[in-house]
Amino acid sequence: MAERGGERGGERGGFGRGFGRGGGRGDRGRGRGGRRGGGRREEEEKWVPVTKLGRLVKEGKIKSLEHIYLHSLPVKEHQIMETLLPQLKDEVMKIMPVQKQTRAGQRTRFKAFVVVGDGNGHVGLGVKCSKEVATAIRGSIILAKLSVIPVRRGYWGNKIGKPHTVPCKVTGKCGSVTVRMVPAPRGAGIVAARVPKKVLQFAGIEDVFTSSRGSTKTLGNFVKATFDCLLKTYGFLTPDFWRETRFTKSPFQEYTDLLAKPTTKAIIFEEDKLE
Amino acid sequence: MPEIMELEAEGDSLDNFSSLQIKGEEEYQEQESDDDDDDEDEDEEEQETVTLGFVEKPKDRHSLLRQLFPSKAGGVPAWLDPIDLPSEKSRVCSICGDPLQFVIQVYAPIAEKESTFHRTLFVFMCPSMACLLQDQHEQWKRAPNKPPRSVKVFRCQLNHSNPFYPSEPPRHDGTDKPSTVGAALCSWCGTWKGDKVCSSCKSARYCSEKHQMLHWRLGHKVDCQQISISSQSSNSSTYGSRTTSKEIDKVANKSLWPEYEIINEDEDSFNTETSEGNNYSNSVVSKGQLDETMKSLLDNFEGNDDQKCWASFQERIAKAPEQVLRYCRDTNAKPLWPMTSGRPSKADIPKCNYCNGPRHFEFQILPQLLYYFGVKNDPDSLDWATIVIYSCAASCEVKMGYKEEFAWVQLYSPSAGIP
Repeated sequence: MAERGGERGGERGGFGRGFGRGGGRGDRGRGRGGRRGGGRREEEEKWVPVTKLGRLVKEGKIKSLEHIYLHSLPVKEHQIMETLLPQLKDEVMKIMPVQKQTRAGQRTRFKAFVVVGDGNGHVGLGVKCSKEVATAIRGSIILAKLSVIPVRRGYWGNKIGKPHTVPCKVTGKCGSVTVRMVPAPRGAGIVAARVPKKVLQFAGIEDVFTSSRGSTKTLGNFVKATFDCLLKTYGFLTPDFWRETRFTKSPFQEYTDLLAKPTTKAIIFEEDKLE
Repeated sequence: MPEIMELEAEGDSLDNFSSLQIKGEEEYQEQESDDDDDDEDEDEEEQETVTLGFVEKPKDRHSLLRQLFPSKAGGVPAWLDPIDLPSEKSRVCSICGDPLQFVIQVYAPIAEKESTFHRTLFVFMCPSMACLLQDQHEQWKRAPNKPPRSVKVFRCQLNHSNPFYPSEPPRHDGTDKPSTVGAALCSWCGTWKGDKVCSSCKSARYCSEKHQMLHWRLGHKVDCQQISISSQSSNSSTYGSRTTSKEIDKVANKSLWPEYEIINEDEDSFNTETSEGNNYSNSVVSKGQLDETMKSLLDNFEGNDDQKCWASFQERIAKAPEQVLRYCRDTNAKPLWPMTSGRPSKADIPKCNYCNGPRHFEFQILPQLLYYFGVKNDPDSLDWATIVIYSCAASCEVKMGYKEEFAWVQLYSPSAGIP
């Protein structure tokens, strides 16, 4: 250490380990470099949140995903989803090589298409393009986790056991494709085309009848219509929702804000109502 | 026939040639439009060596003193030039008037010039989020008038031989001492120069009235009497001058951010092998069914620009998730932006105030630091996406003391859910 500083002090400029000269390993021997061989997985377990919502989730102040959905907070870190939904499974639906013409031939990249879901009311879809297959898959898993939506399930007839089908007839539309989902009795299974069937399986819907119209050949619109349909399951007002909602404060709501203005469509305002 | 029609619809100029090739169903591969150029450029940009900074708890109380030329975050700054500290006007938040709080200092000498043998950059900011929101408007305003900012960066540099430190490198064994004592610092924040003295006990020093008030309320009222009595009998001052390496006073302000040392490592040392097999057999959609159906699907779910930008930011961060600082002084280095919105153009970055030369990107602070600082997560607490520091490209030497540089703050864009 003394020789490094003394003799080479003149050329290197500065003492010790400053920035900007391709930092050395340092006398402390932190061992960060040494851990390389051990396995990179350990680095991935240590998540340092980057957004405020991430910090809240890491602290444990937000316990369920539904709290985030309730206040429509944008989720930017996929680790949030992993912390809140540990049973999230992912599946690669398609790896497609796409090419771009360049002067020196063709440049091939890979587009990965991944669907994630926990089989219990949450699905997400993600797409990523990259030069390597593994990178594309990883990126699309991350994007899929960020786009997870809740799915409401209900009963066809007797309310015995767990909900297994959509709560009512819902329809979703995207482009020219309309997808209609109809509650089905137990044992009917998912009666749908191959790709939306996969999505519905990940959502946790066990039985459903579907009916589609329009140019279902356009798979993008088809799947988006299915997604739209699933989104609407929670948007449909059934008699269970007739009760007045007790609004709660969002984790990001400022106090001064809500005290200042009276809000008619008070999304976030704590009121006590007589039951 | 239908295949050629699809190709023309995409508007690719080389389609004419590709349609002449004889292709079977299985070999059909989609021609992409040029909107993926950004991704390609980003991949090629990764040639620069970026140095990452990580926080670590200091070994002991003495390892972050200024004679050891540390890079540190939180706590109090270890001033490089201990006498000529920043002036009264520059040390306060220009928006609310409170003195700024120390965020991070980076010891970044430049080997080529003699005058930059020692060189440190100090970053200060006002801990109030309201000031930061106001500051966002201010940073877009351009010269000639210097807009009021709540984030300030100071640069200080010294020659190899200077009146403050010995010419030999520090030995790191606890015996290092600076050559001169430093100026007295504020008893409350321990950050800024304490030019104002408490009138009753004459030993407590403060940088501003606000700090004097805070200190008075939180304990000095009691101590003041005793000190003035004891100092009349013996001429020793216990406050202020934290000059010798033996005496490290605890500053009175408990809400300073926790102190860490910054360790640097090259980003390249975190690159790992990423090759996995290219054969993925489970595909729901069969290979032949590509073309426009798949394309529309992919278009719908690929995410907009902002999401793509965020995704690539996260991928880059994922190599070393604990990093808090990214340093790269190459001329064509670009900072890693988390968002697409709120980026400065070349014209938004003002020229150096002192030599009128251009300013270049030097380093950026990442939001992981907020996590390590334990910043609360209330709706009105501090939060930023990144702080990018631009410094004079020539690292000009005008006179001794501290020169201001330019900081650019990028905040997360508020969305519908967050008021």
